[in-house]
Amino acid sequence: MTHYEVIIIGAGPAGMSAANILKDEKRVLIVDEYYHYGGRLLGQLYEESKGSWWNGMDVAKHLHDVLDEKITLQLETSVYNVEKEDTEFTVFTNKGDFTSDYLIVATGAKENSYPLPGWELPGVMTVGAAQVLTNFHRVAPGDAGVIIGINPLSMVIGMELGYADIEVRKICLPAENKFNTTTPKDALLTLMGLGRSAPTKLLSIPAVIGSRMSPFHGMALKLFPSKGIKALGLPLSIKERVIKINGRDSVESVTTVKTNSDGSVIEGSEQEIKCDFVCISDGLSPVNEITSLFNLKHAYLESLGGYVPIHSEQMETEVDKLYVAGNITGIENAKVAMLQGEMAAHHISGNEAAVKNTLKSITDERKNAKVKFHKNLDAGRDKLQLYWLAK
Amino acid sequence: MTRRILNHKILGPKKHHIVPFIWNGKTYYGAEGESITAALLANYIRTLRYHESDGAPRGFYCNIGHCSECRVTVDGRQNVRACLTPLQNGMQVDRQGKLPQLVKGGGGNDTL
Repeated sequence: MTHYEVIIIGAGPAGMSAANILKDEKRVLIVDEYYHYGGRLLGQLYEESKGSWWNGMDVAKHLHDVLDEKITLQLETSVYNVEKEDTEFTVFTNKGDFTSDYLIVATGAKENSYPLPGWELPGVMTVGAAQVLTNFHRVAPGDAGVIIGINPLSMVIGMELGYADIEVRKICLPAENKFNTTTPKDALLTLMGLGRSAPTKLLSIPAVIGSRMSPFHGMALKLFPSKGIKALGLPLSIKERVIKINGRDSVESVTTVKTNSDGSVIEGSEQEIKCDFVCISDGLSPVNEITSLFNLKHAYLESLGGYVPIHSEQMETEVDKLYVAGNITGIENAKVAMLQGEMAAHHISGNEAAVKNTLKSITDERKNAKVKFHKNLDAGRDKLQLYWLAK
Repeated sequence: MTRRILNHKILGPKKHHIVPFIWNGKTYYGAEGESITAALLANYIRTLRYHESDGAPRGFYCNIGHCSECRVTVDGRQNVRACLTPLQNGMQVDRQGKLPQLVKGGGGNDTL
């Protein structure tokens, strides 16, 4: 069994950033299940400010190239168990087992889904799947699609489909059922919230809505046109829901209904929209399967996206020498993930000055984040700190 | 219908090294090193498997290995996730089908 000083699970922004700090002083192994490094950087593409683009594929390549082959990177490697006995971690994978003194879990996030009739048909996919196909593989998910779910991710990826000349015929809400409880008001609040700090293009959405109606939400909701509005070239309807996805062998259309401001369905408003693919977008949640294998408390925090392992600001967990970094600690952007990876690495190295600086950088990045995934993120982070201190 | 995005407005062109592979006994072409999912989609193939129980068509869903909807047989190995597997020259990929329902009274199997 090969022994390393540090094993990092996940070759995304957090994992690779950690490796870059440690590469000169420790023997490091990174494993990732995918066949390419980069994690969910692959596919990311948006204009941060006028003329300045965030290209996740370039960022991933840079993070990889500066590793300079000083560490061992093992792709197509799935971890199916981890254990800690005395002071040694064992990581069990489909490519053999490895041991280490330190373990950094940087497994990222997965996409949530709104279940609705027809969602199992070929041609239905998460919005992130469509993003990776379009921007990384450069294969169109289809000719014309419908996006179900109104949130920062669906709006950004809707625009990205446009850059590749893939038509988006509608962005609206899912059918209301036991699992899907989003209301037009939620959607409106999400859209208005995009204005505080978002990629330049998204900034225009509240303006588009605002120019048509009073800023008071109750009024705005009533006045929001039932047929939707065009924002960033995307047909956006907050008072419309997809009630089913239709097709025999694959997606052929969706059926939508119009709703009142409170989300209740308007009788007789059914409409069929032809499309050959459908994206479902219900946000992200942390992938915590590996930390769940340890005797480790997790806390459910909606603003962080779900169950996260309780951890310190230096990314330590309750298990000695077990660290976490990136979206497993809560859903935030890739820049925060990168800094969290660096933080874990600096703490392992015992570099107190760097720990202090990185803590400040993380605070600054959160303040200036271009994409905010949840409006109560800061409160969630504060609560998590209290849990850590009270452990 | 679907297609390759040969010249992306912002990302520019992408070069592919095109290689043959076998899907259900027929030769197709895909970019070497792309996922099996992407290679099949670029050939207009969305149905990657028929459901083990009811035979309904299924395609890829999450594209990151989490949902396991894209299971195919690769060079004789069953239940390989197409979205995590890079395409290689001459790779033989097969669609999986409905399985016999031995417990629920058996029969009803037309794919084996």
